Amino acid sequence: MSTARAAWAVYRKEIVDALRDRRTLMVVLFSSVLMGPLLLVALSALLASFEASAEGRVVYVDGADNAPGLINFLQRQTRIVKAPPPDYEAQLRARRWSDPVLVVPKDFDSAVQRGEAPAIEVVSDSGNAQSQAGAARVQRLLAAYAQERTTLTLALRGVATELLEPFEVQERDLASARTRAAQITGMLPFFVIMAVLYGALNAALDTTAGERERGSLEPLLMNPAGRGALVLGKWGAVASVAVLIATLSCFSFIPAQWLLRSDTLQAMFQYGWREALAFLVLLLPFAAAMSALLMAIAIRCKSFKEAQASSTVVLAGVSLLPLVSVFDQSGESPWHLWVPALAQSTLMARVLKGEALGATDLAVPLAVCAGLTVLGLMWVARRLNDAAVG
Amino acid sequence: MIVVDGLEKRFAPTARSLRDALTRRPAQAGIAAVKQLSFTAADSCITGLLGPNGAGKTTTLRMLAGLIAPDAGRMSVDGIDVASRPREALARMGVLSDARGLYPRLTARENIVYYGALQGLGRDHAEARADVLAEMLAFKPLLDRRTEGFSQGERMKIALARALVHDPANIVLDEPTNGLDVPATRSLRDSLRFLRTAEGGGKCVVFSTHIMQEVQRLCDQVVVVSRGRSVAAGTVDELLAQTGQRDFEEAFVQLAFPPLHELAS
Repeated sequence: MSTARAAWAVYRKEIVDALRDRRTLMVVLFSSVLMGPLLLVALSALLASFEASAEGRVVYVDGADNAPGLINFLQRQTRIVKAPPPDYEAQLRARRWSDPVLVVPKDFDSAVQRGEAPAIEVVSDSGNAQSQAGAARVQRLLAAYAQERTTLTLALRGVATELLEPFEVQERDLASARTRAAQITGMLPFFVIMAVLYGALNAALDTTAGERERGSLEPLLMNPAGRGALVLGKWGAVASVAVLIATLSCFSFIPAQWLLRSDTLQAMFQYGWREALAFLVLLLPFAAAMSALLMAIAIRCKSFKEAQASSTVVLAGVSLLPLVSVFDQSGESPWHLWVPALAQSTLMARVLKGEALGATDLAVPLAVCAGLTVLGLMWVARRLNDAAVG
Repeated sequence: MIVVDGLEKRFAPTARSLRDALTRRPAQAGIAAVKQLSFTAADSCITGLLGPNGAGKTTTLRMLAGLIAPDAGRMSVDGIDVASRPREALARMGVLSDARGLYPRLTARENIVYYGALQGLGRDHAEARADVLAEMLAFKPLLDRRTEGFSQGERMKIALARALVHDPANIVLDEPTNGLDVPATRSLRDSLRFLRTAEGGGKCVVFSTHIMQEVQRLCDQVVVVSRGRSVAAGTVDELLAQTGQRDFEEAFVQLAFPPLHELAS
């Protein structure tokens, strides 16, 4: 019988078998397809609340009567001054209160007049991230008030304001909106890469170690189909499942952006069909290579459980490799493209930043993945007989 | 017809680990699983390989199925040399091995049709064969159920049907009655007897077992295997006459476990 026909028979059977394993599929779908978008939405909600408190017009002041000058300044800045609840300290600690509180001591204004430099407190909780964000805003307001007072005092004495501010600081940010967004969307490649791996994992283990454990490998090899056909069919099925999960994962971020709560993030996060397709193109060879690699590891194992333990090394490696680009402060090096997982995450990050991908950028990871696939499959085909009788 | 001549297999010792080398543990000698095993199984005949556990029966059948390469000796199936044309030989054999795992998420029919596809049958042909075999082995009600949760006997029937899907002229079974209850054993025996007859296809049936009654009830020819060798062959009556025993168990013990001085000579 021809190799192609036998491989097709194996492929069809393995696909049916994998798709009938509903429980595993649901777990994979939930953990790798839904998790990324859910996290993105949660992150956007957090960012939205930061933005809200950063732009908040309300300043909570305890003892507003002690500083009419400051209150007047705040109101001129179009801020609304309110009194905090009496137990604000406890509420801040319990994270039920998300704004910092300005505490003005008695006779603040007169002390300022006399030049006694009285202390004014900005109360926040550094364990409470939202109150921290607001505290910076209140401090900026206080600094502006202090500057206004100084300028006025010196101007009365005839000092030019330029002497107080000998130079002006202007910031110029070279990052485009997409580059800034990439800091937040940088986690996307990690999620889709893990989705590929989790998609392949179960099918790869089931068609090799699982087959051994069930005692179905030996009878399978007593058919006149060639070893190459069996391995190709199995690998094709595993890679197909991995690609299916990867596709779902890549495209799940498109509807996820509709749910983004933060306007800034929504404006910056440009992830459309083009980006999703580019992700998929980068992930196809990776899915093929990971399927072969996981099968090669699992064929040595007598049981599914043993294979799961062995494949942890691959899972850990793939989840840690992309971190190289975080730790390596020297930036992107050419060798990054030669390392599977790191290469894919680097290139996907570039897609998110809106940078173009060159032919060599695509060819190097493709060649590495193709080589890994061929080596893995040859190893599985070689081990098949020993695995059946061992 | 299956001919096995002068078969030998020695398993290599397990590879020496670094620890073995450091502790200077002597290298282990290999184990001779099969040495000088020969038999001929004719068509329209049930041949039993009878031997104690560890006699080399399973190893022999695995070599016949091309899973293990023999060190010496020749095997042929209907004149096809197993060593040089293993796939053609496998196409003429239906092998029920020691391991008979099914795919639990597939139905009995899908399990059988899958093997049909691997044997090169068309889908309709394989489906038709599944129906015929379900009729013959009496598991029609199970045919479209998933095999998860099937009993030992039910699994065995599906595994046998799977091995016979391409209607092979030669049927090789490794301890087929292992784990079967009395009714299941009897129905298997009836099926094998039917396959041997002209209307069943006049198959050449070879099966290995360590159970005396099995051999007495079923076999036209018995090959006694002991310590990797074929030590005697013939019908049950011939073996009784050869040993001068009236009880077949006694005859078997005498043939399979000869006194040590006889071995030496």
